[in-house]
Amino acid sequence: MSDAQIQLTIDGKKVSCDPGTTIFDAARMNGIYIPTLCHQQNERPVGVCRVCVVDAGARVLPASCVRAAENNMVVSTNNEKVAKARHTLVEMLMADHPSPCARQRHSGDCELETLAARENITTLRYPRRVSPRGQDDSSLVIAVDHEACILCDRCMRGCDEIKGNFVIGRHGKGYKAGIAFDNNSPMGNSSCVSCGECMTDCPTGALTNKSTVRSTLPGEEIDVEELLNLPYFEKVSGTFLELNKHSVVKRRFRAGEVICREGEYGSTAFYILDGRAKVFVNTPMAHIKTHDSSTGWLKKLTSTLAKRSPETRRGVDVERTRSIPIDAPVDLPLDNPVAELGAGDLFGEMTCMSLYPRSATVVASTDCVMLEMLRNVLDIIQRNKTLRAQLDEKYRTRALQDHLRSVPMFAELDDSFIDVLRQRVELVRYSKGDVIVRQGEIADSFYLVRIGFVKVTEQHPGGDLVLAYLGRGGYFGEIGLLGGGRRTATVTALDHAEVVRIHAEEFQQMIDRYPNIRQSLTQVAHDRTEANEKRLETAVSMPLDSFLTQGLMEAQSLLVLDLEKCTRCDQCTRACADAHDGVTRLIREGLRYDKFLVATSCRQCRDPLCMVGCPVGSIRRRNSLEVVIEDWCIGCGLCAKNCPYGNISMHPIPGTEQGKAKVNYKATSCDLCTDLAEPSCVYACPHDAAHRVEPNEFFKWLGPDAFTEARR
Amino acid sequence: MRIDQTQRPWIAATILLFAIATGVYIPYALLTLGGPRGGTALGLLYGALGYSMMLFAGLLGARKKYPIMRVGRAQTWMRGHLWLGLLSFPFILYHSGFMWRGSLTAWLMLLFLIVWVSGIAGAVIQHLVPRYMATQVPLETIYEEIPHVRQQLRDEADQLAVSICGELEQRKMAEAATTGEPQPAVATATLAEIEVADRNRFREVYLQRVKPFLENPEAASELSTPQTAAAAFESMRRLLPKPVHAVVDDLESICEEERQLVRQRKIYTWLHGWLIVHVPLSIALLVLGAIHAIVALTY
Repeated sequence: MSDAQIQLTIDGKKVSCDPGTTIFDAARMNGIYIPTLCHQQNERPVGVCRVCVVDAGARVLPASCVRAAENNMVVSTNNEKVAKARHTLVEMLMADHPSPCARQRHSGDCELETLAARENITTLRYPRRVSPRGQDDSSLVIAVDHEACILCDRCMRGCDEIKGNFVIGRHGKGYKAGIAFDNNSPMGNSSCVSCGECMTDCPTGALTNKSTVRSTLPGEEIDVEELLNLPYFEKVSGTFLELNKHSVVKRRFRAGEVICREGEYGSTAFYILDGRAKVFVNTPMAHIKTHDSSTGWLKKLTSTLAKRSPETRRGVDVERTRSIPIDAPVDLPLDNPVAELGAGDLFGEMTCMSLYPRSATVVASTDCVMLEMLRNVLDIIQRNKTLRAQLDEKYRTRALQDHLRSVPMFAELDDSFIDVLRQRVELVRYSKGDVIVRQGEIADSFYLVRIGFVKVTEQHPGGDLVLAYLGRGGYFGEIGLLGGGRRTATVTALDHAEVVRIHAEEFQQMIDRYPNIRQSLTQVAHDRTEANEKRLETAVSMPLDSFLTQGLMEAQSLLVLDLEKCTRCDQCTRACADAHDGVTRLIREGLRYDKFLVATSCRQCRDPLCMVGCPVGSIRRRNSLEVVIEDWCIGCGLCAKNCPYGNISMHPIPGTEQGKAKVNYKATSCDLCTDLAEPSCVYACPHDAAHRVEPNEFFKWLGPDAFTEARR
Repeated sequence: MRIDQTQRPWIAATILLFAIATGVYIPYALLTLGGPRGGTALGLLYGALGYSMMLFAGLLGARKKYPIMRVGRAQTWMRGHLWLGLLSFPFILYHSGFMWRGSLTAWLMLLFLIVWVSGIAGAVIQHLVPRYMATQVPLETIYEEIPHVRQQLRDEADQLAVSICGELEQRKMAEAATTGEPQPAVATATLAEIEVADRNRFREVYLQRVKPFLENPEAASELSTPQTAAAAFESMRRLLPKPVHAVVDDLESICEEERQLVRQRKIYTWLHGWLIVHVPLSIALLVLGAIHAIVALTY
């Protein structure tokens, strides 16, 4: 004990401590308990909860965690005055606390509720806060209940001082005050790296671990130590891994063993630790489409007379489509859809993050060891800068070239320019709902979608108009860069999305160097602008609610039957079946408006929800009206589920798997008989009853009174 | 097909051709010695033109068999069938000079008359009946699906009834009682509010009055027409307690849908029934017409 030491009395006990020591620490070091909520030893004291108040002889009761001890100070930690003040403080905190909170429910260790129990607080004297602060469920790993937050700032200090992430702060005033992530973004959309520090610091149920799964994954359990020794888990919070250790397992596959099958639903991603795996599309490359499968000389003759070119469809990009986008770091070549994955490759991200069906079948080529993980773990390792950099580097070196060249108009980029881009492009991740570009902003980049889906919308006084959904291989931003320099639409991530960002400078270099690309992009920009104007024109001219309610407004082409002319001969259905290998794509039933029946057949919607989530991008719209299902459809059925009007059906086709016969499925939907001058159903109607019309034309036929008589 | 304004060009062309044919025929009939005959040059021309029109009209059937064949829109073929088929009759009459001398030609003319009249009847039916169908059968379904829809309606009605009175059949009721099998979930809430006597009465009403109609909606029943059905359901409502009325309303709707399906079948039969006469006789007519032409030209 040195001379410089401070002598004081706490609860009648003489104690000494170094100068600068707080009363709280002095008491703690001498075994005297002072309750607190906002203070913990590894954090800078802030004295915001004031539960640790003591009587130091002054008029005001100081917070012991911040009040430095002084010589000859006489401190009481639990006299009547202190006890009353503390009791009142805890009562007030409990008044706003949803008791029992999540933490109390799960582990019974909510510090506030424990303290309230010590204080024998059973009934509350104070009214509850009237302005609820709500919950934030956006993070995959941490549940945020702002209601349970007591604004102790322990999470903020943990995030800033312990981890140095600087994500959490305060926002709002008075009753609306709360913690915020970045600029008050939802936690899942913020720059939070899910280290778990805030969650372990939180004294209540405001920040809790989402106990997602209790080991439902088959495989070998891995110790946290072992995980932390893996390079990809470097710097990941050990606490977090301990809490979520059941969400990642080690899997061993023998050569030839199927790891996942295309079309199946799953919720995990795989990271290859050792070995090689073959990834391929097993569903036969076939299309239930208009083609000549005629038998018999007369049918053959009619097919010849029909002058169809079965494998050819309209659209500039069609013939040049060379690859199938899949949920892996590689695309599959269209002519031979097989590729190989090796150690360090991660696949199944979209399935894991957005629960889309598996896009391809993966079979172990050699004996493999893999990590199979749920999305809470995938999310946290993706936020890990080391792994992120590693995966990004892999993408740049291995997949960027294929990805760029899979977009038909970039097919001519030479290797030297791709090398330039390889170093300069930026890979950016977005969470669901994040705005990637906003209408009206200055256009500074061109974007290529790498993973996930984005929605392109245009703002109008009446609301947003959906212009397109873009999946892997889709691109946007060219109109702003080529045109007025400002964004003409807003692009939002529909789910977990990753985009390749090519900055304006490189974009300019690219179009200067490749005049064909400039020309193609200009043409696409022109087509898109024209199509958007047309959509807007239609939207403005269709004010009727019922029309909107039935989704007819979304249509670009309705198959309408005039029931006063239709003799129910079913020639339309027969023609459709004849044009599509015996599988009709229309059902002569549906909504009735006055004398018209809107048949169940693809409406080629403006807002084609069917396209969202296709794991291989096989349902798409070329730069034209028709929504087409490409030959590489894997038959997962997601588009059929997504279509709100039941206009997509799944059709069985024979196939094989590992030498055994198997029934595969392909999605079928009306393609407007793209290779024929007029849809077969309309052409074959002998009674002038079947028509393909735009909704506004249909609306003109009807007149406004018809809607009041809409039946079923 | 509706005979509407869009048919005007065809009507005009038909009238014009008819006028020309008649204009040529009158002097021909008046000036030809021995009267007009099929064997004269003009008579043969009328015959060839008339038969060609019949043949074209007959080819509509083949055209329909190959609906995607790009040889003109089916609508054009149908209009051609209609108007050229109509026109073929005067041409054949002019060909024959209004006389049929042999038994084959007599039969041919009779056949042609039947085909022609049935065709006109068909055109009238297909002009009028689709509109009637659209107004009379708002709940129309695909014709081939009618048995399936009817089965669904029967199942739905049974489920509704079970939700009120428990098992419908005595045997199942006894089984449920002995095994202590719980009542269907949907029934739990309702059953609690309804007296046993009312449940039994409902069962009786359903089994004796509603179910037989649903099983065989085409048989005579008090539920066969909307008027008698309304009265019948009103009497059921008077018999049964209020909590059951919502289910009675649903049953009434189901019966209405059944009636519409019956109506649809009937109307559908009208729409297509005439084809049973028209199509086979047309084929016979074309074959016999060809035989007549060969025989007449050869001998």
